[in-house]
Amino acid sequence: MSASVSLTDVAQAFPGRERARLALEGISLDIEPGQFVCVVGPSGCGKSTLLDLVAGHTRPARGSVEVDGTTVKGPGLDRVMVFQDHALFPWMSVADNVGFGLKNAGIPAAEREATVATWLSKVGLTDAAALHPHQLSGGMRQRAALARAFAMKPQVLLMDEPFSALDAPSRDRLHVELQQLWADTETTIIFVTHNVREAVALGDRVIVLSSGPGRIIGDVPVTLTRPRVVESERVVSVAHQVRRLLDEADQLGITTPREGGDSYVAI
Amino acid sequence: MSRSDVELTTEQSVQARSRAPWWKASAPILITGVVLLIVWAGLALFVDTLPGPGETASELGRMAADGQLWSIFGRITVFMTVCFVIAAVGGVALGLLLGSRKRLDRGLSPYLAALQGMPTSMWIPVAAVVLGTSPWSLAAVVSIGAMPAIMLGTRSAVANVPPLLIRAGRTFGADGGNLLRNVVLPAALPGIMTGLELGWSIAFRCLVAGEIFSGALSGTGIGEVIQRSRDTGELTEMMATIMIVLAFTLIVDRLVFARVQLRLRVSRGLIDTGLPH
Repeated sequence: MSASVSLTDVAQAFPGRERARLALEGISLDIEPGQFVCVVGPSGCGKSTLLDLVAGHTRPARGSVEVDGTTVKGPGLDRVMVFQDHALFPWMSVADNVGFGLKNAGIPAAEREATVATWLSKVGLTDAAALHPHQLSGGMRQRAALARAFAMKPQVLLMDEPFSALDAPSRDRLHVELQQLWADTETTIIFVTHNVREAVALGDRVIVLSSGPGRIIGDVPVTLTRPRVVESERVVSVAHQVRRLLDEADQLGITTPREGGDSYVAI
Repeated sequence: MSRSDVELTTEQSVQARSRAPWWKASAPILITGVVLLIVWAGLALFVDTLPGPGETASELGRMAADGQLWSIFGRITVFMTVCFVIAAVGGVALGLLLGSRKRLDRGLSPYLAALQGMPTSMWIPVAAVVLGTSPWSLAAVVSIGAMPAIMLGTRSAVANVPPLLIRAGRTFGADGGNLLRNVVLPAALPGIMTGLELGWSIAFRCLVAGEIFSGALSGTGIGEVIQRSRDTGELTEMMATIMIVLAFTLIVDRLVFARVQLRLRVSRGLIDTGLPH
């Protein structure tokens, strides 16, 4: 249940006040089926635009975006997005939220309920099935959003900074859980984040983007054994390598402050 | 979050809030009512033409005894319910259409806003005379009169739906009518309710304006009472009828609008029910 994603010489522009502003330029990227790819870069470098292109919410100004060898023409149930702000429907119970996509896919009620129950138990929300999103903690909401996405058995899962609004303990737990879910389903994941350590902890590969317009300036393979946690020394040392790439590109003219060469600032 | 918290459902948390006995919960409403009665009685002492609460109450007693009270009450209920349901269904449907069709919205919204801003008593006589003076024609006037407010309320509520929810809906396979029904409509419901409440009050205004200005009959009996009061200059029956209409609108607000609003707010987490966040 996974598909390859390939972008060929993709450029994307947004209409500006006087002239179009380039968000992405010359992006070529091949992602194998089942690969977990993280994309890092400074804010405004076009990370989210990259996801939108694969999701089919927008079309590229130039170049082509293909999923499983077919050009992306619009949103589809084979590509599901997880948002930074959980984007659960506030008027639905957690169970109804998780079952929403399945219902649209035309899955019969009995099968749908079984799938929803399975995924709620996988993310530890069985007891919260009847609650509404506002009755959950931030971590639980994002878990519900993960269950909603994974329940669709997507070929490609697109994640737009899904954990950046969470507290550190919740985030650490979800990192581990996400790696397990990914290992179980073998889906292709494109995970966008501004947190370099998070990218290294989760990804098979870390794509480094520069800003204005976004260009690929690094493609760092991560071969550490899983599950990984953000604090581990091996993760931190690879993260430094990624950091250096960002520093060399000297994004926004700011070099990351380093005290004794060891401090770490996520941008 | 502990297990016991998780098992508390939305309905239960609402119950916990409204567990106070009914006489305690409605005490503020009753106290305000008594204060208003005292103010009215005081005014009636100084203004000769204004019937006091006592006279009005005995007139209400007479109307109740000969069945006029129940007849007016029942006929208002039937007439307003039918007209409002038509206005609500039509208004919400057209509002959703406006919300999803940019060009249509551009073309129609200014005129709808102008219609809504204009006093209903100006165009009602024209409409009622053109459409005739039967109860059906006044029903049409009332339904159409309430529609602009409901349409505009619905359209604004649709425009205010967070784009993120629409994107989430699209990502999970909702499109076209499905997206409208399952994402846009529920997300816009609190705003639509505000439009409906406004439409309800405008519908009532249209009803009375029609009765007064065009002689069109709603069949509710309000027009006849107005006519009699005008002829005789005797206001007791008029005040009693005002009391009936007031009681009717109060009951509708408490039993329908206030309840629906509370439910909508509770299910969307807009009321702090004391649960952990």
